[in-house]
Amino acid sequence: MHVSVSLLLFLFSWAWGIAASHEEMVGDFFKHGAPSGSTSNHTNNWAVLVCSSRYWFNYRHMANALGMYRTVKRLGIPDSNIILMLADDAACNARNKFPGSVYANPGRGLDLYGDNIEVDYRGYEVTVENLLRVLTGRMEPSVPRSKRLLTDAHSNIFVYMTGHGGNEFLKFQDNEEISAFDIADAFEQMWQKKRYNEIFFMIDTCQANTMYSKFYSPNILATGSSKIDQSSYSYENDADIGVSVIDRYTHYVLEYMERINKTSHHTMADLFASYDPVKIHSEPGVRTDLFSRPLNEVRITDFLGGVAHVEVGSGVVAAAARKTWTPEDPPSYSETPRVEQQPPRRENETRAQGMQAQIDGWRDARAWGGVLLLGALVGFVGWK
Amino acid sequence: MPHVHPQHTTLRDPSKLFYQTEYNRRLIIASYWVILIAAIPIWWHTTSIQRLSLPTSRVHSQAGKQLRFPVEITLENIRDVSLSAALQQLIHERIGGSGLEVRVRNQDNAHSVESYTVSAHNDIAFASQRHLMYPVRSATLPILADTLSTLLVPLTNSHHVAHYSPRYRLAFTLLNEDAAAGQAITSWDISGAISHHLLPILDSLSALHNFTIESQVQYHAPLAFSPISLLDGAGFGLTPEDLTVFINSAEWTLSSSVSNDPVLHFIAFIPSASRRPLQILNSQGRPSSSYTFLLPQWGGIVVYNPPPELQESTHFPPSALNSVFSTFATQLLTLLGVADVPAGVKTDSSVLTGWQLDALLRRRALENSAEAQETLRSIVKIVDQIENMPVGQDVRGDVQNSLTALDQMYTSASTSLNDTLHQSADALSLASRAFFNPGMLALLYFPAEHKYAVYMPLFASAVIPLIATAAREIRAWRRQRREVQGVQQ
Repeated sequence: MHVSVSLLLFLFSWAWGIAASHEEMVGDFFKHGAPSGSTSNHTNNWAVLVCSSRYWFNYRHMANALGMYRTVKRLGIPDSNIILMLADDAACNARNKFPGSVYANPGRGLDLYGDNIEVDYRGYEVTVENLLRVLTGRMEPSVPRSKRLLTDAHSNIFVYMTGHGGNEFLKFQDNEEISAFDIADAFEQMWQKKRYNEIFFMIDTCQANTMYSKFYSPNILATGSSKIDQSSYSYENDADIGVSVIDRYTHYVLEYMERINKTSHHTMADLFASYDPVKIHSEPGVRTDLFSRPLNEVRITDFLGGVAHVEVGSGVVAAAARKTWTPEDPPSYSETPRVEQQPPRRENETRAQGMQAQIDGWRDARAWGGVLLLGALVGFVGWK
Repeated sequence: MPHVHPQHTTLRDPSKLFYQTEYNRRLIIASYWVILIAAIPIWWHTTSIQRLSLPTSRVHSQAGKQLRFPVEITLENIRDVSLSAALQQLIHERIGGSGLEVRVRNQDNAHSVESYTVSAHNDIAFASQRHLMYPVRSATLPILADTLSTLLVPLTNSHHVAHYSPRYRLAFTLLNEDAAAGQAITSWDISGAISHHLLPILDSLSALHNFTIESQVQYHAPLAFSPISLLDGAGFGLTPEDLTVFINSAEWTLSSSVSNDPVLHFIAFIPSASRRPLQILNSQGRPSSSYTFLLPQWGGIVVYNPPPELQESTHFPPSALNSVFSTFATQLLTLLGVADVPAGVKTDSSVLTGWQLDALLRRRALENSAEAQETLRSIVKIVDQIENMPVGQDVRGDVQNSLTALDQMYTSASTSLNDTLHQSADALSLASRAFFNPGMLALLYFPAEHKYAVYMPLFASAVIPLIATAAREIRAWRRQRREVQGVQQ
């Protein structure tokens, strides 16, 4: 009997070790992230756009990513600064009635695939490993320039992800998953190596807000399409294409972006105020606790645009040009200042963290239950 | 004949089977356990991650060190010997905290080659190589101290300066907005302009960087916006806002992507014939006299309006090309962090002075060493923080070599600036290589449930019968032993 008892003890201690290290990690994630105060002093913008789905029925995810691609390009990020990861099996799919085109609206007004698309990671290259390598910069020396995120301490990065996901994970092409911890760790490594000035993280998937809940590095602004236990929904079908063509959240974000041009003064606060849970059918979230600037001073073009500073002439400093710009006519939809949505969001945030603790407790309990069940099984068969 | 059953049905007693003899059965069960236990080290070895220990204490002791440069200034032809001590004091007040140990000596003292010299001149201030002529009097001493401080530690806008790289690519582009509209510039004497304006600069900077140059001419480069038309036919204007979106990166291809070296772009933009003259407006909306602008860390742009008497497409006029390239040269210096000499000090403008070059070397060495130290600290911190990040032999080797380069750098800081810079650059590139080592990608994070889910179906089904049979066998053995003992008693 002694042998089986010691075996059980071994199993218990093994499970305990795993549960303990898990708990420790979760604790660590909330310790870091005191934001260092800075105004936007970036000199270049980068975008990482990830569509993690493939196959025809996920047409809408490809359309999501291509819609974002079109928008950042239109707002002035050069192709050399955009990393587009796309399964890219929609445009030339045998089921596509409109070969070589991807549309994001039922009327098929705008061909997103167009004539000038540069997909950097295509098809089976869209993997968790490749995404993490792009972010952390850990590449083989042979990887070409176009597949690298060559950012520095003056870079603002826009990270957009879309696909099928769940609580704290995003599925990559039915093969593997990336977890919220993986992205959080990658961002921390980028911060340590000074690979960014600020990051704007946007994700459209089910339970999307859980994906940014694990971030702990400073200067990250994050937003997602739906909170925990909520699905994100597609927007509309096109009868001729036969599948949904875009997701609701991305649709409304893109619709908002269409009103913006390269020199617009719209801020992140305006964008977040434009979220309408009734239209989106889920509750989009925003995480600002890691971000040091007030949202109503953060221009959307700080992340999705081109250059921020220019110096005219030789020696004559005109770097303050952005401050002396003449303001545009105020656009009609910004008549109602909706910035006061911020405080309730913070409440949500703390509530989410409380919930997180609850979830972790539940997980521990489940792990222990598993161990007990195993022990009971061994005991039962042994005595029989 | 009916079928006759054999007399005795020979169903064998299971306990009489050879493998069910007690000894054999226990041997079989034990062999399973032996294999299982013997396999544990192999399983452990194949599933564990190689994490070599890093020289953590050396990395942390590096963090406290700061690079210090001894600087010696010799005063020549100056009668008042007491000035040197006063000057040293004044300079120390100004740039004491910048890592420089300035010593001012009089001429009669021992004279080292690397020293800077200041000699008295009646009225002009003139800097050449490592020499400064200055009207030295006790009244001008504070101004002299200011000048020397600025020469030694110039104020540059670090926002403009490109990140240090041992290699740069310079991409020169002649952009015609629309050659089809006529009066375009279709060719330029690029090699002549480069060798005349840039090669002297590139040569003097060869201690810091290697340069690769590429150039191209484009005939159609539309702007993404329409410049505003100025009143009374004075041409067209670019507002400060337009300048920030001037580069139409969606449609212009400005550099090849053959290597991963950082690129500095230089663009001569020829507006379409229908949009001339194209001028840069100031913030009040009036045309400014400037036709050039700089995008920090990216490159420089010159707008060139060909003279209106030009009838057809032509070669770039040499005089205009001269002024364009002298602008490019200034912009290149700004982007590389070369500071101007202080206002009021004249120089032979064609070459960089030793003052400027040394200041740049010191600045880059300081930047590189600080960044290398920080990268090393980050490596240690991240490896510590992310538990399943592998650390291989090559990472450890790079970290050690980087530390060695840093140590060498401190010793050579007093002897040679070039060596200091090279060692700091080596330390930085080794530290970065260690950080970006492709093998350092942490394994994906798996929650505990994942691990159970993977291991349970594999192991539970195999282990439960094993444990159960072992337990039963041990119980049987103990019962037997008790019975034997009972019989004996």
